[in-house]
Amino acid sequence: MRNFLQGIANTRFMALIRKEFGQIRRDRRVIISLIVPPILMILLFGFVLNPTVANLRLGVVDDSRTPESRELIATLTESESFATAGNYFSAGQLGDVIARGKLDAGVIVPYDFGRDLQRGRPATVQFLLNAMDANTARIAQAYAESVIATYNNGLGQSGLNADFRRVAAAGGQPRSQVVLHPAYLYNPGLVSSWFVVSGVFGMLCILNASIVSAAAMVKEREAGTLEQLMMSPAGTYTIVVAKITPLFLLLCLMVLGAIGLMKMVFQVPFRGGYVLVMLGAALCVLCGIGIGTFIATFTKTSAQAQLTSFFVNPPLTSLSGALTPAQALPAWLRPLTNLNPIYHFGVIARGSMLRGSGLGTLWPNFLALLAFTLVMVSLSVWRFRKQLS
Amino acid sequence: MRRILAQMRKQLTQLVRDRMSLAMALVLPVMIMVLIGTSFKLTVSDLPIVVQDLDGSSASRNLIDAFRASVTVHVVAWPVEQSPQLALQHGAYAVLIIPVHFGRDVVRGSKTPVQLLVDASDSNTARLMSGYASRIVQAYNAAAVPVPQPVQASIRLWFNPGLSDKLYLGPGVFVLALSMFVPLLTALAMAQEGQRGTILQVYVSNISAHEYLLGNTLAYMVVGLAECVPLIALLFTYFGARFAGEPFPFLVATVLYVFCVASFGIMVGVAIPNQIAAISVVSLGGYLLVFLLSGLLFPIANIPAGLRWISDLVWGKHYIIVVRDAFLQGAGWPATWLEILIIGGTGAAFYMLAWLSMRRMQLKA
Repeated sequence: MRNFLQGIANTRFMALIRKEFGQIRRDRRVIISLIVPPILMILLFGFVLNPTVANLRLGVVDDSRTPESRELIATLTESESFATAGNYFSAGQLGDVIARGKLDAGVIVPYDFGRDLQRGRPATVQFLLNAMDANTARIAQAYAESVIATYNNGLGQSGLNADFRRVAAAGGQPRSQVVLHPAYLYNPGLVSSWFVVSGVFGMLCILNASIVSAAAMVKEREAGTLEQLMMSPAGTYTIVVAKITPLFLLLCLMVLGAIGLMKMVFQVPFRGGYVLVMLGAALCVLCGIGIGTFIATFTKTSAQAQLTSFFVNPPLTSLSGALTPAQALPAWLRPLTNLNPIYHFGVIARGSMLRGSGLGTLWPNFLALLAFTLVMVSLSVWRFRKQLS
Repeated sequence: MRRILAQMRKQLTQLVRDRMSLAMALVLPVMIMVLIGTSFKLTVSDLPIVVQDLDGSSASRNLIDAFRASVTVHVVAWPVEQSPQLALQHGAYAVLIIPVHFGRDVVRGSKTPVQLLVDASDSNTARLMSGYASRIVQAYNAAAVPVPQPVQASIRLWFNPGLSDKLYLGPGVFVLALSMFVPLLTALAMAQEGQRGTILQVYVSNISAHEYLLGNTLAYMVVGLAECVPLIALLFTYFGARFAGEPFPFLVATVLYVFCVASFGIMVGVAIPNQIAAISVVSLGGYLLVFLLSGLLFPIANIPAGLRWISDLVWGKHYIIVVRDAFLQGAGWPATWLEILIIGGTGAAFYMLAWLSMRRMQLKA
C-alpha cells in the first residue's frame, strides 16, 4: 500500500502538481485574488444593491387642515413606504423642492377636502412622484394607490364620515368586493439580498476563476520558462491537467468560503441542500478556468490578459440575470442568456437555495452548464497544446 | 507652457500607436454603455401567472379575464389537481387561486377572498407582481359595482412620465463609462512609464513635476472629452434623453469630471508603477465604487447607514446627480453648484497627491 502511494506521489504528474502549488504559494497576487474579491464582492453587492422602496421622502401641502386630511396623511406615513420630510405652503414651493431632488414624492390635499367628504362628494388628492427612477416610481405608485384604498375602506367603518357611506350607498345594491391576499413564498420577509447574493456567487465563480487562471497560465510565458516545460519529458496533456488541477482545488476552497459567507452573513436558506449548489459551482469554476486559459493563449503578458478580460466580462455579467432579473431584458437579447454559464448557474443557485428545487426541474441548466464547461475546457486545452507543440 | 504641450503631444502619439489602448478608448465605453444601459432593467413585463380556478363559475371567469386583459401579466391555465407550488418551480411568477364558492360569495355581496401565491425569491419582482395584481383586482371591483370612491388619487409622474428605465439608466451608465476608462488608460500609460523605466528619463530631464503632470492630465482630458462625444450622442439617440434645463452646469461639470478622473488615473499610475496593480486599483475605484455606491442602479438611501457615508466620497455620485439633473430634472445651478464644486475639489486633491508622490523623485535643480 505504501509503495503504491509512493508510486503515485512520485509520478511525473504529481511532481508537476507540486511545482504548481509551490508557484501559487509564492505568488502573493494569486493568493490575494483568491481571498479578497470573494469576500468584498459578496459583502458589498449583498449589502449595497438593494431595490427596496421604503421611507420615500414625502412633502405635504395640506390646504384642508381638517381631521380628515390629517388622518389621510397619517395613513400615508404609518406604513414604512413614505416618511414625512416637510410641510409646505404651496404646490409651487413643493414642486421646486422635488425638482431639486430633495424629496421623492409630494401630496397636495385641496382646501375643500374635508368639506367634500362631509357632504358625501368625492374628493381628489394630488400626488407628485419624482419618477426619474422608473422602478421606484412604479412601486411607489402602487403604494400610494393602496394607501388611498385603505383610507377609503376605513372611511366606511369609522363613525367620522358615516355620512358619505350612506349617501354613496343610497342608490345601489350591497357592494361585493374581491379581496386579494398575497402570500410571498420562499422569501416571506422579501429580503432583497438573497437574489443579489446568489447572482454574485455565479459571477464570482466564473470571473474570478478566469482572472486567476489567466494570470497563472500567462505567467510561465512571461517568465520564459515555458520552453523548459516543453523540453521536459511530460506530455502536453499532463502539463495542462497539472496546471488546471491545483487552481481548481483552490477555487473550490473559495466556493466553500463564499457559501459560508452567504449562510452566515445573509442567512441564505439553502433549502435544497448544499450538494447541487456545490456541483454547479464546481462546474462554473471549471468553465471559468477554461475561459481564463483561453484568454491566456492569446496574450503575452498578464496585463494584456487582464485588459482582454475587460472585453469578455461585461457581456458575460450584464447578460446573465445575476443582478437584475433576466426576464427584464429586452426580448431580442433574452435568447443570448442561454449561452451564458452565469445565467444557468443563477437559475440553479436560486432554484436550489431559495425554492428547494431538485434535479428534476434544474437538469436542463445543469446540462447546459456541463456542455459549456466541456467546450471551454477542451477548447482551451487544444489552444494550449497547439502553442506548446 | 511649451513643455506642457510637448508632453501632452507625446502622450497622445503614444496612445494612438497602441492598438489595444485605442480599442479600449473607443470601443469599450460605447459597448459598456449599450450593454449595461440595456440589460440592467428591473421591471419584468409579461410575467407568467398561473390561475387555478377551483370555482369555475362565470364570476371567476370574469376575474380571470380581468387578468388576461392586462399587458403586464400573462395568464396560464393550471389543472386543479396539481400542486400550485409546482408551477412556481417551473417559472411562473405567481399563482392566483380562486376558491370554491367564489361565484356564490360575489353574488351575495360579501367580501370574497382570493389568494395570490407570489414567488418572492426575487423580492423586487415579487413587489411589482403583487402591486400589479392588486391593481387589477381593484379595477375589477370598481367595474363590478360602480360606487364612487370617496377619495381619489391623481398621481402625476414627474421628469420621466413614460417610466422609461433607459432614461434613468442612461445618465448613470454614461458616468460609469467615463469613470472607468479614462483613469484606466491614464493609469496604464503612467504605470508603463514606471515599469519600463522611462520615468527615469523624465526625472533627469529639466521638465518639472507640474509640467509633466499637467501635460499628461491635459492629454487624457483630451481623450476623455473625445470619449464624451460618442457617449453623449448615444444618450441622445439610443437612450432618448434631452436636456431638461439649461445645459451649462452639465458642460462645466463634464470638463471638471474628466479632469477629476484623469487625475485619479495619474495619481494611481504615479503611485503604483506596476500595470497589473494599477488595473486592480482603477477597477476598484473607478468601476466597483461608482457602480455600487453612486446611486447608479438603486437609491443611495437603501444602502445601510454604516456604508452610506462612503458614497459621499465617491466622485461618480456627485457627477451622476449633475447629469440626472441636466437630462431629467432640469433644476440647473441651484441644485448642482455644490456637486460641481465637490467634483472639482476631488480632482484637485487627486492632482496634488500625484504631485506629492512625484516630487519626491525629482532632483532639485
